[in-house]
Amino acid sequence: MNGKWNDCFLGLKIIQFLIELHLEVDSIKMDEEPERAKRWEGGYERTWEILKEDESGSLKATVEEILFQAKRKRVFESHGQVRLGMMRHLYVVIDTSRTMEDQDLKPNRLTSTLKLVEYFVEEYFDQNPISQVGIITTKNKRAEKLTDLAGNPKKHIDALKKAKDSTCGGEPSLYNSLSLAMQTLKHMPGHSSREVLIIFSSLTTCDPANIYELVKTLKALKIRVSVIGLSAEVRVCTVLTRETGGSYHVILDESHFRELLMFHVKPPPATSSSECSLIRMGFPQHTIASLSDQDAKPSFSQAHLDSTSGGPGLSMGGYFCPQCQAKYTELPVECKVCGLTLVSAPHLARSFHHLFPLEAFQESPLLLHHTERFCEACQGELKDKSVFTCPSCNSVFCVECDLFIHDTLHCCPSCIHSRSAP
Amino acid sequence: MKLNIEGLLVYFPYDYIYPEQYSYMLELKRTLDAKGHGVLEMPSGTGKTISLLSLIVAYQREYPLEVTKLIYCSRTVPEIEKVVEELRKLMEFYSKETGEKNNILALALSSRKNLCVHPEILHANIIVYSYHYLLDPKIADLVSKELSKKSVVVFDEAHNIDNVCIDSMSVNITRRTLDRSQANVETLQNTILKIKETDAAKLKEEYRRLVEGLKEANVARETDIYMSNPVLPDEILQEAVPGSIRTAEHFVGFMKRFLEYLKARLRIHHVVQESAPQFLKDIFEKVCIDRKPLRFCAERLRSLLRTLEIADIADFSAITLISNFATLVSTYSKGFTIIIEPFEDRTPTIANPVLHFSCMDPSIAIKPVFERFQSVIITSGTLSPLDIYPRILDFRPVTVASFTMTLARTCLCPLVVGRGNDQVAMTSKFETREDFAVIRNYGNLLLEMSAIVPDGIVAFFTSYTYMENIVASWYEQGILENVQRNKLIFIETPDAAETSMALEKYQEACENGRGAILLSVARGKVSEGIDFVHHFGRAVIMFGVPYVYTQSRILKARLEYLRDQFQIRENDFLTFDAMRHAAQCVGRAIRGKTDYGLMIFADKRYARADKRGKLPRWIQEHLTDGSLNLTIDETVQLSKHFLRQMAQPFRQEDQLGLSLLTLEQLQSEDMLQKIAQIAHQA
Repeated sequence: MNGKWNDCFLGLKIIQFLIELHLEVDSIKMDEEPERAKRWEGGYERTWEILKEDESGSLKATVEEILFQAKRKRVFESHGQVRLGMMRHLYVVIDTSRTMEDQDLKPNRLTSTLKLVEYFVEEYFDQNPISQVGIITTKNKRAEKLTDLAGNPKKHIDALKKAKDSTCGGEPSLYNSLSLAMQTLKHMPGHSSREVLIIFSSLTTCDPANIYELVKTLKALKIRVSVIGLSAEVRVCTVLTRETGGSYHVILDESHFRELLMFHVKPPPATSSSECSLIRMGFPQHTIASLSDQDAKPSFSQAHLDSTSGGPGLSMGGYFCPQCQAKYTELPVECKVCGLTLVSAPHLARSFHHLFPLEAFQESPLLLHHTERFCEACQGELKDKSVFTCPSCNSVFCVECDLFIHDTLHCCPSCIHSRSAP
Repeated sequence: MKLNIEGLLVYFPYDYIYPEQYSYMLELKRTLDAKGHGVLEMPSGTGKTISLLSLIVAYQREYPLEVTKLIYCSRTVPEIEKVVEELRKLMEFYSKETGEKNNILALALSSRKNLCVHPEILHANIIVYSYHYLLDPKIADLVSKELSKKSVVVFDEAHNIDNVCIDSMSVNITRRTLDRSQANVETLQNTILKIKETDAAKLKEEYRRLVEGLKEANVARETDIYMSNPVLPDEILQEAVPGSIRTAEHFVGFMKRFLEYLKARLRIHHVVQESAPQFLKDIFEKVCIDRKPLRFCAERLRSLLRTLEIADIADFSAITLISNFATLVSTYSKGFTIIIEPFEDRTPTIANPVLHFSCMDPSIAIKPVFERFQSVIITSGTLSPLDIYPRILDFRPVTVASFTMTLARTCLCPLVVGRGNDQVAMTSKFETREDFAVIRNYGNLLLEMSAIVPDGIVAFFTSYTYMENIVASWYEQGILENVQRNKLIFIETPDAAETSMALEKYQEACENGRGAILLSVARGKVSEGIDFVHHFGRAVIMFGVPYVYTQSRILKARLEYLRDQFQIRENDFLTFDAMRHAAQCVGRAIRGKTDYGLMIFADKRYARADKRGKLPRWIQEHLTDGSLNLTIDETVQLSKHFLRQMAQPFRQEDQLGLSLLTLEQLQSEDMLQKIAQIAHQA
């Protein structure tokens, strides 16, 4: 096989080989602590109602319990061996109606939402490198495409940044947004997962026709619609998501909103009827012509040709499509010339853990562990009342490390260590 | 599942049971054991019907000699259908569990098209029908008088039972009634003439029978075959029909005279109110009609109609009404009042004289029921305060209990809004009713709520006139226009067809995400019979306290009577009546444990202990001091928070063990102790 020509099929072997790489990439990116809204900005809370005194009249026990629960608060949904829709085509519909001016999210719903969606887009491509996203906004009873379905996060993020200055007004239209998304999604290949994620702030929708007819069509086209509500549970969304197999959540506050959005980063289980197929992909290497090479000339990237925005577009090096030699500066991308999906190997590796998630660690009270006084990972003293044990290597971890391992690392450091040791 | 309720094996056709259902069955069993009457309050949507049915059916099977029949009275046809549906499930479960063929016969009387005349139905074990079949003396006599003494009678949704009793005994006579009676009398006369020519013997035979008197009926009553009928008082059974109305012609003449007298009485220009004895004295002086023949009127007419073999009795409803009135007015000297009004209050210029013969004592109509049947159960979602029903219905219950709803999450959120954002008190009090600031604040409340509550909102006003005034004022202030940007607005009207149309469209708007507000009236059709489950009613707003229109003379007379006879103060009764209607209205939003809804009481008076204390316990226990006398802003904050909380995923597993029990969970000691606290003895 030619050194430049890394054309191969998505296979298990490569993924296994690349896991080490992936580890390096991910562990650098530390998850910053989600920023909680300021106390005075939050809603009206009755915090005193949660507190209960113990027998001696002390509140200490409940306070500790609450803190502990907050740390553990996340969904442990290991699908086990379920087929996942790894290749996703997702339309994010953002409601930009009058209600988005509400200030219960700071500074207002629109700004807060756009900021989170930006973050979401980044995460999404990070975790789903071979997937695409498009953004639709809806206001004044109309729906507009902000960006088309594409695999380049930069374009979306630019568009989202620009949208911050737009005004909100009128009512949203679920029907128009969905049919706009449907027009594109229905042409997507059968093996891809077709999804729509609606961020819905309003409590009403203004539709030109009966939305339940549209729901039937969506269901027939296997388009999965999920909704994140910003204010309250609306009936039509309940039905819409239930019928199409999506999820419906309503946010409590900003950090919950972020959590719910992140929930959509993970690829959903594939519907049983979606096709299986092998996908042809190219793995181009980044080549930079050395300065000494007199023949080297800066060239345009194919992706920049039709983009109106962006810098000069001329650069020395880049990724060259293994099939047609078209140049791109960023991956992943679908080759404009020959249509080949171009990805880099670390990208693919990142999707790996979705298919083989790390098993949940067993929670047990600290009292049962006399021998281990320190966490295997951070070497800190075990203080919380529960500890977590890896089922395969029996190492003990604290809560923080357990979270970090499952959310970010996706493999048990102790297991890896024992394996690589000679 | 199979339950053991104090030694009684009860088949319960579901895998899970609510703790309050268990508690309810316990109380019910104790009532049946004591062979007494009971008043039980349990919130709607917690499975009252199935608890009642499964326990009583089990009791019947266990002690077939003690309880022979279950008579289940409900209010409307859809409710009857619901009962039958549950019963069917129970029967299926029985035959599945015991393996034997179903030997219980149930009968539902809903409408004429479902009528069955098979003689076997007389032996039905369970009868489901409307209140009127038992309470209305005109119908009860046809349908219910042969029911066995050892029956258990259940009145479901009985919070309005006193009004049903009163309505069934009251008579309103207008000019039209008199005209139609006149026509009826003419027909009778002609028929009598005809019969006389063809079959004179028949009339003679009737005459002979009347001389004999009503001995037959008397014998029947003494041997306890029939239930007594309030229109057929005891005394007249002992006597023969008086000679003055014994022959058919004489009776017709007598009726003519009576009608003429009534017509004369209706020709007045001022309001007259008098008692029954006064009326009798007047009639004797003016047209020489004695008390005695009047008392036999109803029975005599019935006999005549039978003799003349008139098939369609419905044609003679007018004259039957008049004869019933004659009997009632001459039988009861107490508990009734006669009011003759020359015109309606609203249209003083149009002459429309009405004679109200109004019953003021609900115990008269229901007395035979309590006397005849060994156990009568009165139950509803809203019966608070519980002690008042035994007082106004004049009976002595052995169990009086209120059950709360055990909840895994607080799915109801009662809030009392007392002030606007400008601190002006919100109230529908008469003095400030026209106040511009109050109306504006009410408008603001609706506007704010329409922006944050999803799908459907139901708003109740105290009366049609009040609603008209407020809505007109909102229109002028531009509030309606703003509300309409959030939701569509529908209005209930006194016209039934219009209202059902509005309701249909309202539900459609809730269903497809447009969102809607239904403006309706407490005591109206919407407030009583229609459930707003889930998205059809996420919030109920009660604008003002729904006091009954106190200027009505009938009501005044009734209040006076209550004070004199039952020592119930006017104000207590009015508040009780207002609060039970308010509870009914706000209760529309919650129809089960998976449902959720806001209950907004928009009047500062609700915060007062005398009002608050009269709400059902299951609402009261969620009405904390923190949710009283709020401003609109505070209400909006609390509501937003509540709606977000409720929108979080809620599954059956969350309820299990708390508000939903399996058989094992039910049998644990802890749970049994908890259950004991659910029932609250009044």
